[in-house]
Amino acid sequence: MNYEHCIRCTICVENCPVFRVNPLFPGPKQAGPDAQRFRSDKERIEDDWVLLCSQCKRCEMACPCGVEPAQIILREQQRYGREHPQTKTHLLFANNYYLSALGSLAAPLANLIAATQTGKKLAGKLGISTHISFPRFSFRTLRHERMKQSRTAKKVAFFHGCFINFYRPDIGRKIIRLFAAFNVDVVLPPQWCCGLPALGNGNLALAKHFAQKNAASLSNYIDAGYDIVYSCTSCGLCLLHDYPGILEIPQAKKIAENCYDVYEYLLKLMEEGYAQPKFGELPRRVAYHIPCHLRALKIGYPAAKLMALIPGLEYEILDDACCGLSGSYGFKKENESTAIQLGQRAVSLIRKTEAQDIVADCGSCRMQLGGLSGMATYDPAEILCESLGITAK
Amino acid sequence: MIKTDVIIIGGGATGCGIARDLALRGIPHCLIEKGDFAAGATGACHGLLHSGGRYVVTDPVAARECYEENLILRKIGQKCVEQTGGLFVRLPGDSRRFREIFLRRCDEAGIPAEVISASKALELVPNLNPRIEEAIKVPDCAIDPFRLCMLNIRTSELNDALILTRHKVTEIIKSHGRCVGVKALDQTTAETREIRANVIINATGAWADTIAALAGCHVSLTPVKGSLVITNHRLTNMVINRLRHPSDGDIIVPNEAVCLAGTTSIPIEDPDKTSTDFQEVETIIGEAAKMIPHFDDTRIIRAFSGVRPLLKSVKTDSHEISRGFQIIDHQNGLFSIVGGKLTTFRLMAEKMVDRVMNVFNLKRPCTTAEIPLDGQEDLSGYPLSRRLEDLKNIVCECELVTRQQVKKIIRQTGTKNVGDIQHRTRLGMGPCQGGFCTFRALGIMNDMNVISPEESMNILRGFLQRRYKGIRQVLWGDQLREEQLVEYIYLGVLAMEKPNARE
Amino acid sequence: MRVNEYDAVVIGAGVAGLAAASFLAEKKLKVAVVTKGEPTACLSTGAVDVCSQGDEPLAAIQKLPPEHPFRLVDEETIRSALNKFQQTVNAAGLPYIGSVEKNRFILTALGTFKTSCLVPVTMEASPQNASESLHIVTFRGLKDFYPGYIISRRKNAKFSVYDAGVSTTMSLAAHFEEKNFFEKFLLWLEKQNIYQDKIAFPAVLGLESAAEIVKTISILAGRPVFEIPTLPPSMPGRRLFNALKKTLRDNGGDIYWSWPVTGIEAAEATIEAVTTRSDGRPASINGKAFILAAGSFIGGGLTVTRHGIQENIFHLPVHIPGSRETWFDDNYFSMNHGIGRVGIAADAAMRPIGTSWKNIFVCGSILAEAQILKNGCGHGLALATASAAAKSCAEYLAR
Repeated sequence: MNYEHCIRCTICVENCPVFRVNPLFPGPKQAGPDAQRFRSDKERIEDDWVLLCSQCKRCEMACPCGVEPAQIILREQQRYGREHPQTKTHLLFANNYYLSALGSLAAPLANLIAATQTGKKLAGKLGISTHISFPRFSFRTLRHERMKQSRTAKKVAFFHGCFINFYRPDIGRKIIRLFAAFNVDVVLPPQWCCGLPALGNGNLALAKHFAQKNAASLSNYIDAGYDIVYSCTSCGLCLLHDYPGILEIPQAKKIAENCYDVYEYLLKLMEEGYAQPKFGELPRRVAYHIPCHLRALKIGYPAAKLMALIPGLEYEILDDACCGLSGSYGFKKENESTAIQLGQRAVSLIRKTEAQDIVADCGSCRMQLGGLSGMATYDPAEILCESLGITAK
Repeated sequence: MIKTDVIIIGGGATGCGIARDLALRGIPHCLIEKGDFAAGATGACHGLLHSGGRYVVTDPVAARECYEENLILRKIGQKCVEQTGGLFVRLPGDSRRFREIFLRRCDEAGIPAEVISASKALELVPNLNPRIEEAIKVPDCAIDPFRLCMLNIRTSELNDALILTRHKVTEIIKSHGRCVGVKALDQTTAETREIRANVIINATGAWADTIAALAGCHVSLTPVKGSLVITNHRLTNMVINRLRHPSDGDIIVPNEAVCLAGTTSIPIEDPDKTSTDFQEVETIIGEAAKMIPHFDDTRIIRAFSGVRPLLKSVKTDSHEISRGFQIIDHQNGLFSIVGGKLTTFRLMAEKMVDRVMNVFNLKRPCTTAEIPLDGQEDLSGYPLSRRLEDLKNIVCECELVTRQQVKKIIRQTGTKNVGDIQHRTRLGMGPCQGGFCTFRALGIMNDMNVISPEESMNILRGFLQRRYKGIRQVLWGDQLREEQLVEYIYLGVLAMEKPNARE
Repeated sequence: MRVNEYDAVVIGAGVAGLAAASFLAEKKLKVAVVTKGEPTACLSTGAVDVCSQGDEPLAAIQKLPPEHPFRLVDEETIRSALNKFQQTVNAAGLPYIGSVEKNRFILTALGTFKTSCLVPVTMEASPQNASESLHIVTFRGLKDFYPGYIISRRKNAKFSVYDAGVSTTMSLAAHFEEKNFFEKFLLWLEKQNIYQDKIAFPAVLGLESAAEIVKTISILAGRPVFEIPTLPPSMPGRRLFNALKKTLRDNGGDIYWSWPVTGIEAAEATIEAVTTRSDGRPASINGKAFILAAGSFIGGGLTVTRHGIQENIFHLPVHIPGSRETWFDDNYFSMNHGIGRVGIAADAAMRPIGTSWKNIFVCGSILAEAQILKNGCGHGLALATASAAAKSCAEYLAR
């Protein structure tokens, strides 16, 4: 009953990026604790505006009363998904894992079609926004990397997520090599979509399905002495927050206790004295955009602490603006205007820093900011690798 | 000077019910109420339409009456009565014998009572104390008492009756020993109006003796204070009663998006000077928590007191219609109708108007039980969740009141009183108790030019003081934090106490 | 356990907490601020009230009862804290005008005058009396601002309504940051041919660029322009918060958001760490000294139950002047409610009285006997006591 604590201070509303630009969304206070007083388990609800929440969690980070509006809204979104027919985009994006697997298999062709006018028209008909290009599928996914047995003292299993696996396995390979530079062999455990796309598209059952499989796999590795690392902050949030929460995974506590953000882990290795890599000079000025879900993980900004060790690297932290894409959210036509307005504001704040490039932990943020600004985007791993002299091969 | 057939003094459920009955029987009438509707016990009760279960052991005849009225009100008030159902829960230690008698009497009175297991009860109301032994399901219902008055009055309005709220009766005019009219002071304009009628009905509840005294008559009443607390949200969707002899704090009623719990029973001297004690609040919470444990740490948003006008004694020369209420013929054109409960208001009104028919020698039958209440088409109705569909232009976010609704009330009633808007729309009845929306409602009134700056400030001051009275005894936890925020806004951001400088 | 090490850990990210942390960070100490959520300051008018009883705040402070926390700090501390504040916000692009020597008025949304001391430059032109004529520009659909309140109190005010296409405080402020929107608005404004002495707006004129926006409108209109603080969401409050946040970050301080302190670790009388429940691992932050600036009831520094009042992190004794009967007067407007005097009592070094903890300090609205609304001393008290607490804390760390 934590919505009891709401004193209507509107601090959550001040922080909601969607509310700022979309008058159809009544804001986290109205959609969460206010509306909850009128909802009943036994009555069907027609509050379709609840789908406009992008689950960025900024409301929860700001609430001084412990209300968790995003959680209230998330549960309502699942209910809505159960009680109403799914739209095409909801169906497609919930099954992003399977579709991306198909896309990767047919990679060159799939990418070609997506880039053509016909492809864009088809997307439009399906209700998909084309305000930025689709990510290109990679035929050689990360899963193709051979899984070595770990011979190092620290054993790490990498939960890479769909974005790296299907679209940017090169970043995944860099992360593996980065760990090697820290004297850690990284293995790839059997894994599936973390479940967040399904959860974000009103398909609780599918999300649970993925979560149960992942939990079993990761649990085995933990039992065998492995630490789990994730690089996508949305996967991380799902593992740490939704697995024990709405997805009700029994092994959730064990997983959360042994699960780290990649940069959090690397910092930990340095603090423990396990590794002392020498960062070489990198004279650049970058804008470090903080993904909303990284803020929500409450681990601070560990990648920033690592970048602070790179001589010559100037970085400015931007954590006040949501990029607006929020995974599949911004790819839906009904959210297109929201995504564009928010993205443009984030880009304009980036431009004010006069940075050359954008760095962000989240692939979704990179797609959006890169797509709208035309600037180059990097995962922090790529910056660290460059500084350490680690190349693609 | 206005001439009519019947004057009703008192705009509670009884008075409004009488007005409706008179209207349907074609009798011109005038209703005079010193405050707004439901200003007395009606506005300070649970809003419970009894199935009769609560009285079935102590007073089976009254119980049967309640049940019949319950059925009637459900029929005529389809959109304003919420058919919540009710449970009488038996806790460990509660008398099994009482339970046996309860069931037997319900059966005898024809009141549907179904025994259900503890697990079934917990399924229906998950917040129930898991230690309950069993529950008995009855057809209790809930209603907003103010709304009930408004809908009854609507019929009068449609029949051109004169409705005078915020008018205080200062004198009952007598001629040759008979009561022939009243003088009423308009509290807004300070003008006095004179209304003449053949029959005057005193339906003023706890003030019945005060009004009767104006005609040199007497009504024996014991005013008894009863207090209630309101929770932040619905802890139950069904009425919860305690399966034992009626006592303090053993009813919890869902109402709109909140719950009401209570009540207490404290004899008092002056119905105009009541306030809720902290001890009463503690008692109510304690008793309610036995049935729904969450009561102990849930957020309470308001506590208020009403005065029950209980009959002191039954006069042998008055016509006792039924137990629980009494119609007194003062033999001079004045009638007093006292006692009763919300559930039987319509029956009380029927009996009263039957008497009026006798006086006028007319044979028009009562139709209030057959004809649906007027004005229900304007209601949002139930279930509550339906109101979440469209959230545009909301002025009170806690209770989903729109700008259009507020403007409509202002135009229709010409009111300068923000309380009138609150009663009619539930603006300000939610967790923040009007902290934000009152500023908005008053702002709308300012923009519509219906009030002057002095009035504006006085209204706001009066509102804050009244609001404070309601929350003063529940200021802890979240509600205290809420209060500090509202205080910061009105006394800090809006600098309410500071007068204009150097005008 | 994940361990983070700091010299000082400040609990609370309001005006007091962020100011204390900034003072320490400037001295090159390693500082962390932990906070449950965003502070009450976001809801305030943004103006710094020092002491509103009278024309001169410093003189008024001298007249406060001896137990008032303002009497714990000397005048020099107050002056320098407020000076520092003005330098800080100026550097952050949000200049504040006014001086600690004299109070000034801000016109409120009710048309009353609020006494304050340092006000954001967007409220510099707020009238000090009823004689100036005003033109109020509001926005269609904005439900938290009604020019009628002000117009009904002043004979010389008129208003116009701009249809911005959006109608919430937040979206208006965000739109004013956009060049296209602003230019379109200015074109409309020009056509209004405003002739009154000053132009007033509800405080929605942008977020980070508010000062420039107000200046631009003023130049175009050829007359002073000012903002009127609104009901929450409050843009001036948020701007103040953003400026203080940025200052702390620029000075090298860390802020941990959504980090409610649920426990502490201590060795005898020395507090070693604060801990929180985090998804996953318990997280703790180690510090050599701690400053409690967690606010009053809204902020959560103090918790009131049916039967008592507690400070839940360090279990400091709470000064409670009487039983519950004395907490709330009959008259809402009495300004003397006992509850306003509740808080943590401190000594001149801002150490809490009655505790054996060696390394903790307090500042801000959690202090006892502040009676903030009665005395009009919100942010001013926060800044002055934060400065004193930071000074004591730094001295403690330097031993």
